[in-house]
Amino acid sequence: MKTIADRLIEDVGLRRGVDRLTPEKIQKVFKELVAGECGARMKTYMETCVRCGMCAKACHYYMSHKDPSYTPVAKVSQTMWRLFDADGKVDPKVIYECAQVAYTECNLCRRCIHYCPLGIDTGYIISVVRRLCHKLGVTPQYIQDTAHSHSATMNQMWVKDDEWPDTLQWQEEEAREEFPGLRIPLDVEGADFMYSVIAPEPKFRTQLIYQAAAIFNAAGVSWTMPSTPGWDNSNMAMFTGDSEIMARIERAHYETAQRLRVKRIVMGECGHAFRAVYDVGNRWLGWKWHPVPVVHSVDFFWQLIQEGRIKLTHKYAEPVTIHDPCNIIRGRGLMEKLREVTHFLCENVVEMTPNREHNYCCCAGGGVINCGPPFKNVRIVGNSIKAEQLKATGVHTLVAPCHNCHGGLEDIISKFGLNMHTKFLGDLIYELMEKPEAE
Amino acid sequence: MATVEYKGKTFEVDEDGFLQKFEDWTLEWVDYVKDSEGIKELTPEHNKVIEFLQDYYKKNGIAPMVRILSKVTGFKLKHIYELFPSGPGKGACKMAGLPKPTGCV
Repeated sequence: MKTIADRLIEDVGLRRGVDRLTPEKIQKVFKELVAGECGARMKTYMETCVRCGMCAKACHYYMSHKDPSYTPVAKVSQTMWRLFDADGKVDPKVIYECAQVAYTECNLCRRCIHYCPLGIDTGYIISVVRRLCHKLGVTPQYIQDTAHSHSATMNQMWVKDDEWPDTLQWQEEEAREEFPGLRIPLDVEGADFMYSVIAPEPKFRTQLIYQAAAIFNAAGVSWTMPSTPGWDNSNMAMFTGDSEIMARIERAHYETAQRLRVKRIVMGECGHAFRAVYDVGNRWLGWKWHPVPVVHSVDFFWQLIQEGRIKLTHKYAEPVTIHDPCNIIRGRGLMEKLREVTHFLCENVVEMTPNREHNYCCCAGGGVINCGPPFKNVRIVGNSIKAEQLKATGVHTLVAPCHNCHGGLEDIISKFGLNMHTKFLGDLIYELMEKPEAE
Repeated sequence: MATVEYKGKTFEVDEDGFLQKFEDWTLEWVDYVKDSEGIKELTPEHNKVIEFLQDYYKKNGIAPMVRILSKVTGFKLKHIYELFPSGPGKGACKMAGLPKPTGCV
């Protein structure tokens, strides 16, 4: 059987990291990690896997490459089992292999949980491998850069404190040409909700903030955005295994909402950010529940539609299909609301198969796309199963309410020549909604 | 890593098609990339964006925010996307010879 050792990819972050290691150092960090952070959960997973292989067909990497070394169980056997077998005392080159598997060959999409008869969460195991690699200083260069940015600026793209409000005011100004009364309200204490986004929106894709402002303006809701750090809800430190920075970001995000005394946080169309805010950060911080309620855009748009606040001039006529992002579907159960919103907006929705919680991953999530160019080809070839799934729908418009999914799907569409284009729900709502007349 | 040969020049590129070395950038590179970026003809406006991206990158080691790009060139956001359909982070950075930006792009 092939193994990860047969397909090593050179990455400067991984290489320099392992060059500093010794087996003794690895063992010390491994044992501390297992004793300190893993507890009964990891032990149970290590002891209950019956090696049945049911997880194999759950994984898009295996279904695409058809190589057993890409199955979820093989990813665990090449990483965590190896470490446990050696009590953590392994050659540094093993850590290189563990890192490449954990960061670039598993999207932490958790589809395989649904196929494991014992409910083992392989995504959790792989996250712990990443945590170990982070503690050993062995992380891919590209994603580590985003974690550094989080650490220095509290956002993932080195956006400076003054550039953020400047960008919002610029978009407000541009939007006021189309919607004369529009505001992007900054630091409004007591607003109904704080809207938070991921850093790529202000950095490059600022039209998404423009569109959101247009939708909120038309819906007549009470909202605000913070002018200070804490506005970025993304969290790449969660994916490098840097739980300390991950938690600082989550704390800053929630504390910003608390400072503004908003009733809740509405998050833009990003999946991993939702996972970090809704599921991961609060647990690491030891909070029983979220200090401020938090909803994803899919949920929020659904509510606006229920309240009759979004009115359309017409429905989207061309057939569309829906991609279910793992972090808000398997992670939050928004599959029916996503469908209700999409059906509200579009005349003809063609489901891809399988769908909902059994949907195939975009292969970008889990920080994999963020590991950058060196690992791009494995990721795209590793998702031919998704390309087949998309092609079978026969449609040209793909609705995906997640940034990472857009990146991964666009790469697949281009590689396999699928003649499709991706849309956020916000793109469609902006395009189809009744726009308020100038007063 | 791959190599691109175009009009007598050789370029080393990463898997996303960005230049490995900023110093390798030439006008032939821009000409080579423009087709795959869906740009029919290069205009002085394209050049203005490319020149500013390079200038900012040399000073700061990173691509500027689209806001700063707009402020310096005087182009509105929509117009920047008309010039570079895949956006400032992908198409424009690639043509200017900058490395692929890190983050969710």
